[in-house]
Amino acid sequence: MVFEKVCQILSDQFGVSTDSLNMDTAFVEDLGADSLDLVELMMSIEEAFDVGEIDESEAAGLKTIGDLVRRIGEDD
Amino acid sequence: MKLIIDAMSGDNAPEAIVSGCVMAAREFGQEYILVGKEAVIKELLAKEKAENLPISIRNAEDVIDMHDDPATAVRRKKDSSMSVALRMMKDGEGDAMISAGNTGALLSGATLVTKRIRGIRRAALPTQLPCKGGRVLLLDSGANAECTPEYLLQFAYMGSFYAEKVMGIKKPRVGLVNNGAEDTKGDTLRKETYAVLQAASEAGRIHFVGNVEGSDVPKGACDVAVTDGFTGNVMLKTVEGVASFLMGELKNMFLTNTRTKLAYLLLKPAMGGLKKMMSSSEVGGAPFLGISSPVFKAHGSSDARAIRSAVKQAMAYVEADVVGEIENSIEYMAL
Repeated sequence: MVFEKVCQILSDQFGVSTDSLNMDTAFVEDLGADSLDLVELMMSIEEAFDVGEIDESEAAGLKTIGDLVRRIGEDD
Repeated sequence: MKLIIDAMSGDNAPEAIVSGCVMAAREFGQEYILVGKEAVIKELLAKEKAENLPISIRNAEDVIDMHDDPATAVRRKKDSSMSVALRMMKDGEGDAMISAGNTGALLSGATLVTKRIRGIRRAALPTQLPCKGGRVLLLDSGANAECTPEYLLQFAYMGSFYAEKVMGIKKPRVGLVNNGAEDTKGDTLRKETYAVLQAASEAGRIHFVGNVEGSDVPKGACDVAVTDGFTGNVMLKTVEGVASFLMGELKNMFLTNTRTKLAYLLLKPAMGGLKKMMSSSEVGGAPFLGISSPVFKAHGSSDARAIRSAVKQAMAYVEADVVGEIENSIEYMAL
């Protein structure tokens, strides 16, 4: 459920098909995300999952969809 | 129409911003909300004898400056005039927002707070430059250093809508800035972009006239000059530098002796026209094309007249509903 919702957010933001995404998809290497994309992504995640603020230092450690899904799980 | 103005950002803020807002209110009417330190703005409005104008104030204690990191400034400084103004736009408190502040922070803030139009990959910053026969719209003039053919295709569409609806150019001619006119010229980005612009033109959606060299742009070879933000910014600054150099040289030439000073007196009205054409205060500001609500960037060194002109541009942009035009055409803009 969390994975599907994260994929939908990424699909909307990066214009990619959800079918092309998996737990190992990396934001920078695979989706070409820049620093603004990453801040935008973290803000969308905070809004969609009602998790606390993910600051820049924490965001720097979240490199793949799997990392993000696990981070969201920690707040559940 | 209600305009939200960031009163604290810019080289000459808040004095020039407040003064420009007062000038606009007297000339164009409309309602204004100045965002920033209430006590300071109140004092400036009193000096301008503007108590009876439709200008209100929204307090914001902090300011984003040129040293703040663009990508995170709006998030970190939540009580800055720029952040508060952007949130007001998001909440529908105004029809357009204007700031003369940090370009990168405003672009990031507009992207993060008011959001891009769904389907638009990157917002672009257009700049109107003087050219033979009028003005040419250069975009992107600095918002996105690295671009893909899809971004440039979207810039071509958005620039065409802006040129047609706001600048009043019918069937605007789109040129791709390149290092040669032939379709084989340029790097991979230019070659791939040429193909997608050509296809959009053949489908009758834009009017692509091919590659244009830097020297063709001031000669009026196109109405919309499309390029990546890195090239666009270098081009813009070069044009500004050359214009400033030439105007300085002309001034020196006229001051040489009595005969040239007399010649200047004869040419003074024409020189005034030229100076006006080259002045950025006449255009005042530009919207981030692709953002879901009108967010305008005014020149960092804006004087009161430039702010007044930015208000005029913002009003024209809102009335022309360029945002709606982009939203309605989004299906053609993806690769």
